[in-house]
Amino acid sequence: MTSEDMNWTEPGSPSDVDLYRVWTGVAAEVWRRRPGPAERLAARLLRSPGLARALVTTPSLLLGWVIATVVVLAAGAAATRSTGTPWVALFAPAVAGAGIAYAYGPGIDPTWELSQTMAVSDRMVLLVRALAVFGLNAAAGLAATAASGAAAAVTFGWLVPMTAVCALALAAATVSRSANVGVAAGMSGWAITVLSSRVASGQFTAAVTRAALVIPYLIVAAGCAAIAAYATRIPRGTPR
Amino acid sequence: MNVEIANLTRRFGRNQAVAGVDLEAGPGVLGLLGPNGAGKTSLLRIMATVIPPSSGTMRLLGRDPGVHEPRREIRRRLGYLPQALGYYPGFTVVEFVEYFALLKDMPSARVPAAVAEAVERVDLGAKAKAKLRTLSGGMLRRVGIAQAIVNNPELLLLDEPTAGLDPEQRVQFRALLRDLGQHATVVVSTHLVEDVGAACTEVALMDAGRVVFRGTPADLAALGTDRDTGDAPLERGYTAALARARAGSAGSRS
Repeated sequence: MTSEDMNWTEPGSPSDVDLYRVWTGVAAEVWRRRPGPAERLAARLLRSPGLARALVTTPSLLLGWVIATVVVLAAGAAATRSTGTPWVALFAPAVAGAGIAYAYGPGIDPTWELSQTMAVSDRMVLLVRALAVFGLNAAAGLAATAASGAAAAVTFGWLVPMTAVCALALAAATVSRSANVGVAAGMSGWAITVLSSRVASGQFTAAVTRAALVIPYLIVAAGCAAIAAYATRIPRGTPR
Repeated sequence: MNVEIANLTRRFGRNQAVAGVDLEAGPGVLGLLGPNGAGKTSLLRIMATVIPPSSGTMRLLGRDPGVHEPRREIRRRLGYLPQALGYYPGFTVVEFVEYFALLKDMPSARVPAAVAEAVERVDLGAKAKAKLRTLSGGMLRRVGIAQAIVNNPELLLLDEPTAGLDPEQRVQFRALLRDLGQHATVVVSTHLVEDVGAACTEVALMDAGRVVFRGTPADLAALGTDRDTGDAPLERGYTAALARARAGSAGSRS
């Protein structure tokens, strides 16, 4: 039914009744989407329904992805319990890095160009999504390491390398405009770190337990965050 | 004036996509015509604040898009349909339009009515709850138009909006354009001169990054009265204006 079809009034009906208005009012009620509790909470916290909607549509926060993350970490916890090797600590940074790379970007978001013309900036969307993915992965990882019965040093030791891996994945994804490149960079960077630490110290857990690595991890994280910020900078204004 | 552009340029490496465009536009429908590679899409993307110009000045809706807060205000009042509209296949028509209404910072209480009206205006009411992956190309184009007009924009930029629409839908769309142009500045980039003749109050013809003709569709048609290239008066005017501009630039080079 088109607007032209609806711009008439029934014989005998009050002449000031605009049936088109009535119809769109009814349609608005019928088609109205009721936001879920997570979206309502996010809208309240972020003070922006648009940002909240963008958050709940994050590819790496969709149910399937979250379930996959939990399955991988649960498998890691089970393997840790049976073998004694802290697999959760080794898996968690890689899983989080993949999630961050898939948080947002031109390679992921089919409406990237359109999103760049929105009042809610794509950079703000990226920031909120990245923080949410990081927080969810950190919580899931902590729960999994606690369940695996790992030592305290291992339980928290992977949080700093996870930050560095996430920043590396995000920087690679935003610079290359490809989430897959971000995933590859994060995972290969972490694999190289784990293997080289093992070669140097003879321990699989060295990458997450050696205190000497904390500063290099933080430097990598800060550098990669700066690169991501530069890659997603708002275009400069009109030259004067 | 809703659009004030002076000596605007945009360069991509060695390619000068926009080469010193001056353009002013108030309420009405401005058709942006030109051959492939003339710079129409680049100019629209600059006006949509997707890419910045390399040089020149631009004011949109009386504001400077180079400054954060005015740019945000412009974007609240802007509608944009890109040439290649990406979409989320799992979203329904209503969800997609609503998503962009929210990202345009519309007050959430106004969103459902605005979405319903935009969906009805593009005649997609019967498909409101259909997933985008199930729609035809023409219907997806109309979804794109719905998201562009959902905030009742003061500046509406449409890049090839009639691509994929069947003749009946194009006729309806031209009526919608005329309606929108009553209050807003609508800039339509198109290859289809018949769209310009039917819906536009003004025409700007671009070639090699420059605006080489500006006037009404009747002015453009009048240029081609002594030519026989083209099936319709506007097509003859289009080719005449392009030939004149190219002859002029060749003459100035020699």
